[in-house]
Amino acid sequence: MLVLSRKAGQKIAIGNDIIVEVLSVSGEGVRIGITAPHATSVHRFEVFTEISEANRAAEISAVEVEGTMLEGLAAMLRAKQ
Amino acid sequence: MPMITIKGKDYSYNDDEVINFADGLVGFPDMRRAVVVPMDEYEPFCWLVSVEDERNAFIVVNANDIFTDYKPAVDAPAQSDVKTLTIVKISSDWHKTTFNLRAPIVIDTASRRGSQFILTDNRYSLAEPVPQN
Repeated sequence: MLVLSRKAGQKIAIGNDIIVEVLSVSGEGVRIGITAPHATSVHRFEVFTEISEANRAAEISAVEVEGTMLEGLAAMLRAKQ
Repeated sequence: MPMITIKGKDYSYNDDEVINFADGLVGFPDMRRAVVVPMDEYEPFCWLVSVEDERNAFIVVNANDIFTDYKPAVDAPAQSDVKTLTIVKISSDWHKTTFNLRAPIVIDTASRRGSQFILTDNRYSLAEPVPQN
């Protein structure tokens, strides 16, 4: 991991099109501004992890699925349509 | 016609149905080329499966088929025909099955490009229960 020291107002460039700026530091909190191309997704790591774990759990549920688990729900959803 | 096998069942698809996920799915960066194949006997459920590694398979359903007023704010090219899928987490008790409305899979059907969005809108749950009515 690259470790850099920065002060409020200073920036870091990542690749050619991502800029990370330390906006302010107060106590233990740091406000960070990120400028990145539209297609680059930027999320708090906790959110990313949460979705990633949800995907993993859904995938496991799909691997383990048996027809009986789908029958009732599929019938209910078809009736709704 | 290429074929894919999921849980011992064969599904065929056309090459022009393959969806390109430039960034993969969240936590699944290698899932870049996938197809949506309907589970005939369990309609409306479909498999979203990687054509490169069929062990990467998710159960999905067209989000608006179930949540009719679900309109996630995702920026898709204007006028494009977009399909929004939700990943289903199956439970052995089907009443406890949940739908991930927080991170929908959005597919531009014309360009066959797809991506999984992470919504900032807290109204939408990662584990939305089966609607009551």
